[in-house]
Amino acid sequence: MHIPDGYLDLPIAGILYILSLVVLGYSIYRLRDEKFTPLFGIVAAAIFAAQMLNWPIPGGTSAHFVGGALAGILLGPYAGSLAMAVVLTIQCLVFADGGITALGANVWNMAVINVFLGYYAYRAFERFGKSAASFIAGWIGITLAAIFAGIEIGLSTSFGYGLSVTVPVMGLWHGILGIVEGTITAGVVSYIASSRPDILEEKAAPGKTALAVIAAMIVVSPLFAYAAELVGYSEPLENAAEMLGLSENPIYEGLLPDYTVPGIDPYTGTLIAGIVGTVIVLALGYVMARYARTT
Amino acid sequence: MHELLERTIKEASDYFQNFLIHEYSNKSALHKIDGRVKLVSTVVFVVLAVSTFSLSKVITILLFLLVISAIAGLNMKRMFERIWLFTLFSFIVVLPLSVYNPLYGVIFTLRVAASLIAVQMLIMTTSFADLCSSLRYFKVPKTFVSALWIAYRYAILMFRELFAILLARESRRVAKGSHMDLWRKGGEAVGLFFLRSFERAERVQLAIEARGGNVVEYRGKIKKLDLIYSTIVGFTAFWWVII
Repeated sequence: MHIPDGYLDLPIAGILYILSLVVLGYSIYRLRDEKFTPLFGIVAAAIFAAQMLNWPIPGGTSAHFVGGALAGILLGPYAGSLAMAVVLTIQCLVFADGGITALGANVWNMAVINVFLGYYAYRAFERFGKSAASFIAGWIGITLAAIFAGIEIGLSTSFGYGLSVTVPVMGLWHGILGIVEGTITAGVVSYIASSRPDILEEKAAPGKTALAVIAAMIVVSPLFAYAAELVGYSEPLENAAEMLGLSENPIYEGLLPDYTVPGIDPYTGTLIAGIVGTVIVLALGYVMARYARTT
Repeated sequence: MHELLERTIKEASDYFQNFLIHEYSNKSALHKIDGRVKLVSTVVFVVLAVSTFSLSKVITILLFLLVISAIAGLNMKRMFERIWLFTLFSFIVVLPLSVYNPLYGVIFTLRVAASLIAVQMLIMTTSFADLCSSLRYFKVPKTFVSALWIAYRYAILMFRELFAILLARESRRVAKGSHMDLWRKGGEAVGLFFLRSFERAERVQLAIEARGGNVVEYRGKIKKLDLIYSTIVGFTAFWWVII
């Protein structure tokens, strides 16, 4: 499920980086007073090692588990999402498993959607028994994470297949693999429930507002990705003006007219204009911060 | 259980080799470059590679990456061993589309290959400690970087723990069970493994506190070689822009 570099359009990758950073930043903020570092560092190492376990499947093949829902159930959604983000970052920076530009999307799918949905599915079905709840959490977490990955690459024009191909392929395949994920999750949770039930006590979870915001972000993230794609390739107001036969009559063109660099092809120009704009904003922000500190 | 154990040991052994190989690979000029410079350069190279569908631009970035790697003295055979599988996978994925638009298939695959080479240039020449220090320099939260560092350092230990549990289970086995039995026992083994990881985390926390904390900070300074490499990266980007 790790998306590599080159599969996602940069606007979509950028939006997913922002969404992931918001959730991870909030998770770190919520854990600021807790001495959680060794716990999710070592649990991350354990998830990483457990991902190497190949479970035999009848027919001579095997599958390994991802562990997002399990991380959420054992650590709670905040520490669980951080532990998964740590695993994904190591996989990206040490094994080149998952791209650098796609890290935001991979974190969003496997450390946010998989962990948070897995955790809440577990809580919702816990009354039917821990095994059943953890099976559903494992299955639904990985399947929905895969569907979101399908939406992200399906919306990207870099990837030649549309949503009608990517979503069913990712969803169906992971829906089947999810049975293994759910079974392993159920096995682990049942064992821990019988040996150390205190570990499965209710963890710090988002308050209603934070939960509503994160849930809304998950629900609308495909729309964000779609909007990023739109903004990246066409400007709605310009389209409207073109339909109405209106033309621009600028008083001053600016140094980088229409986010381009004169004499350079538009796509490259937009990239340079974006970098220049970001540097200017950062510089202004730095100067203002320095000024605010001295006054 | 034996199938599971065999597969696990095989997979993990493969990964172990990759896991530590860059620590032992031959020293090259790229090894001497500051981790911060290499991290930023990698992001620049990957963005340049994936932000265009112009064949000339993609080939330019690919050639620059290959030339830089070869001149710097990286082991090209090892690099190709690491990138060929995913490059081929990407080609196969877009193969049905390439029937109608062969150029798309070629460019898509080359974009992926260029990105993988850029990332391998970083991975093969930079220690994980350097990467963590660089992330701290770029203001990535201390909590996150510390967790990364602990996870990396303890991954090998956790593998050993997992092996010990699996071997103990294997030695106690008296009959070959069904698939369901295998999965149930496997789940229990992983459950025990997570319990042990919790307990170890507790001990590590106490040890860290006893030693006065665990801080990853950057202390290096930018050297002349770093500036030369930055100029090469800048020149690559400039060349990519003007063609």
